[in-house]
Amino acid sequence: MYDFIRGPMLWISFIVFMCGLVFQFYKIFSITGKKEAPSLIRKDANNKGLAKLKKYLNKALSSVALKGTILGTQPFVALLSFIFHVCIIATPLFLLAHNILLFESWRFRLFSLSESTTDIMTVVFLACAALFLIRRIFIPTVRAVSGIYDYLLLLVAAAPFITGFLAYHQLVDYETIIIIHIISGELMLIAVGLTKLGHMIFFFFVRLHIGSEYSFRGGSRSWQ
Amino acid sequence: MSENGNARIDNVRIEEMLKQKKRMRIFLSLCASCGFCADSCFLYRNYKDPRYMPSYKAINSLGKLFKKKRKVTRLMLEEMSDLVYGKCVMCRRCYCPLGIDISGMISWARTICRTQGVYERYDIDPMGRIKKAAV
Ligand code: SF4
Ligand code: SF4
Repeated sequence: MYDFIRGPMLWISFIVFMCGLVFQFYKIFSITGKKEAPSLIRKDANNKGLAKLKKYLNKALSSVALKGTILGTQPFVALLSFIFHVCIIATPLFLLAHNILLFESWRFRLFSLSESTTDIMTVVFLACAALFLIRRIFIPTVRAVSGIYDYLLLLVAAAPFITGFLAYHQLVDYETIIIIHIISGELMLIAVGLTKLGHMIFFFFVRLHIGSEYSFRGGSRSWQ
Repeated sequence: MSENGNARIDNVRIEEMLKQKKRMRIFLSLCASCGFCADSCFLYRNYKDPRYMPSYKAINSLGKLFKKKRKVTRLMLEEMSDLVYGKCVMCRRCYCPLGIDISGMISWARTICRTQGVYERYDIDPMGRIKKAAV
């Protein structure tokens, strides 16, 4: 069992994950086209590179502009969401144990954070996930658009962290929990390409590449 | 409100119109149901009723149409019209951190309703709608 989930199953989930990302990207890319040059050019449009960025940041970070974003309307939840997303990506990537496994298999490793740091990150992540769950259950707006699918996905995202935490602290039978941990991690990777978790690709594509009022300005493509 | 109450729904046309908006299907499939868009809608801020939340309106109008495809009924469109006309003024202020164009979806749901003769009769009973919307 252990050999299977660490061998072929891991490959399958990596491949599904990568294909999922490519598929998501292609799905969005294929319905966008090159952005047309604007017929009316504003004077400051001649600004290039750094000057343009500076101007944009000045505008985007002004208190008036921020008021309309979630940083202005729900700063606490925005912060929570930011921490949640940083942890969900950084913790598994920079976890010492993962990097040791990686090195054993491929003689290659990423930079690792100390074990106590990742332990704290795991707890912080789980706290954020718990608050998200509470929010989903008790805040009327979020509840109105939540279905069983949304709860399930939150569980899919949190499960590798819960099991990883239990395994690291050896709170339950290690052999069993590590197997559940690996399976839940693989499930999460698979889910990214196939479910709502695909917003990982969508977010960057739409907000950076598509030039519209919903992007961080000046993307190079537009919806067809 | 609908003009021709008994006319049949042109399901084929609805399906064709849905097909034209592939991006909206993607929007709906990726909306994280996070509720962040709620506070960007001034109607929601006023009424504090979740039915005014932008994503609620989009999911329960265009989202429903995508789900039902050829099985859309007139009653469904009538119910939807209360959301897309009565609970949205198309000001396009709604803001989604993922970059989903929510008002675009509500607008397309309106367009589909209109092709089936379901639309807001401001000329007949505007006050009735406003009272209803204020509950
Ligand atoms: S439309 Fe955007 S902000 Fe609103 S619930 Fe969906 S993902 Fe969240
Ligand atoms: S377009 Fe509709 S949903 Fe969006 S902010 Fe305006 S009234 Fe609210």
